[in-house]
Amino acid sequence: MQTTKLKLFFPIAIILAICIASCAKQPKEENYIPTENAFTTDAHYIDPENSLLSEGFEVCDENFILQYYNPERATYSKGKNGLRNFILSNYKNKNYTDSGYLNIRFVINCKGEAGRYVIHENDLNLTPKTFTKDLKDQLFELTTQLKKWNPNFTHDMYRDSYMYISYRIENGNITEIIP
Amino acid sequence: METSQKLFLSICLLILVCSCEDESKIKAQSMACFEYGMSHYQGTQESINAFAKAVEYDPTHAESWRELSIPFLKRGMPSLWKKYMDKAVELDPITWQGYRGYNYLWFYRDYKSAIADFDAIDSLTPNFTDAPQGHSVDFWRGIAYLGLKDYENSIAYFDKHIQKEIDESGEDWVEHEAFLYRGIAHYEAGNDEKALKSINTLLKYNSNFADAKYYKALILSKSCEKTLHNLHFDAMLRSSTMYAEELKQKLEKEKKAALLILNEAIENFKTGYSDQRPYVETIRQLYLEDYQFLKAKLESMD
Repeated sequence: MQTTKLKLFFPIAIILAICIASCAKQPKEENYIPTENAFTTDAHYIDPENSLLSEGFEVCDENFILQYYNPERATYSKGKNGLRNFILSNYKNKNYTDSGYLNIRFVINCKGEAGRYVIHENDLNLTPKTFTKDLKDQLFELTTQLKKWNPNFTHDMYRDSYMYISYRIENGNITEIIP
Repeated sequence: METSQKLFLSICLLILVCSCEDESKIKAQSMACFEYGMSHYQGTQESINAFAKAVEYDPTHAESWRELSIPFLKRGMPSLWKKYMDKAVELDPITWQGYRGYNYLWFYRDYKSAIADFDAIDSLTPNFTDAPQGHSVDFWRGIAYLGLKDYENSIAYFDKHIQKEIDESGEDWVEHEAFLYRGIAHYEAGNDEKALKSINTLLKYNSNFADAKYYKALILSKSCEKTLHNLHFDAMLRSSTMYAEELKQKLEKEKKAALLILNEAIENFKTGYSDQRPYVETIRQLYLEDYQFLKAKLESMD
């Protein structure tokens, strides 16, 4: 009788232990990565191999590129007004009918130089689209003419940072320059 | 036989208990991923993957979708921001629709979409004024309508917001920007008197606000322009040296008052007491050159 009870006790105990263990299990480090469509880089990463005007452009610390907004802000040397005036006075709407956001992301290095440009094209509902090539080329060219930037400064040193300029375009006209 | 039945039933019971706990287990795993994501710098691979894993475990966890969206908002990658932010709003509109409106307002200057979200959240919570990012939807709508240059609606929402704050807490509790932007809306709508009234109310509570003093000087500069116009045309037409002298004195007095407040504004600006926002420039943001331009204009009025 005693032996039968023991025989029953062990399977139940094992099953119970398995259940408790599986219920209490927390994800391990490797489980913080989704099984599908995992991100292979940081959100902001710009690959020098797959970006425009990256040849000859050097960053000061490949492993420490800040965002433009932290902590001291990387800014255009002639300020936002200077940037806006330069773009708006040189941009020509050549009867474009495009609307959307033409965003150009790039890196400002610790010397205040710009390089590694990538372009994101979206319509006004923020859905990917393609802008008229001439409009895109023109705005890209103008953006790359913004040469001198004030680099980010932190921990007693000038630092590299990621920057972006977003052109809100309505019927070929620039209606906002963000940020 | 009886023992086998007991064993069978026990196993069934255990399986049932474990399967009942599956859902809470998934939620716990999702939360663990969320917390792991929050413990890393925003936008890093570790962080965004953890939030993506969190929603893989629990696709209903709106906050993880929202966290996943933010790095792309701040980095100028709109389609990814929208993809994830829309999920958060779909799952929990009461919490996130006003916040999405705030994003549309500042990061995309998409005033119409911002207003649509502020209106929607207002309808979702009747008899309650939502305050995404610490300000009421009425305050945000006031700004959005100012962005659209729809001054009537802008002023109406600022009036509503300010009155509610006054009724509930007192005029000294109202955000200074509410008075400033209402003043700007009045000024741009051509109503200098009301603009000045709103600006003066602001200055009563914050005498160091550079933007407020700039607009006050700007309104005063319009009086200077009017006097200058009279001096150049009316006085000449009347050929009255006495009248011209009178106008000259008036102009000097007005100029002096405008320059006094503008110089104070420049000092305030230089010490950081000006309207600005993190990440993006604020609406109608003023820079040092704007103050200097107005100063040069005033000084050239002779």
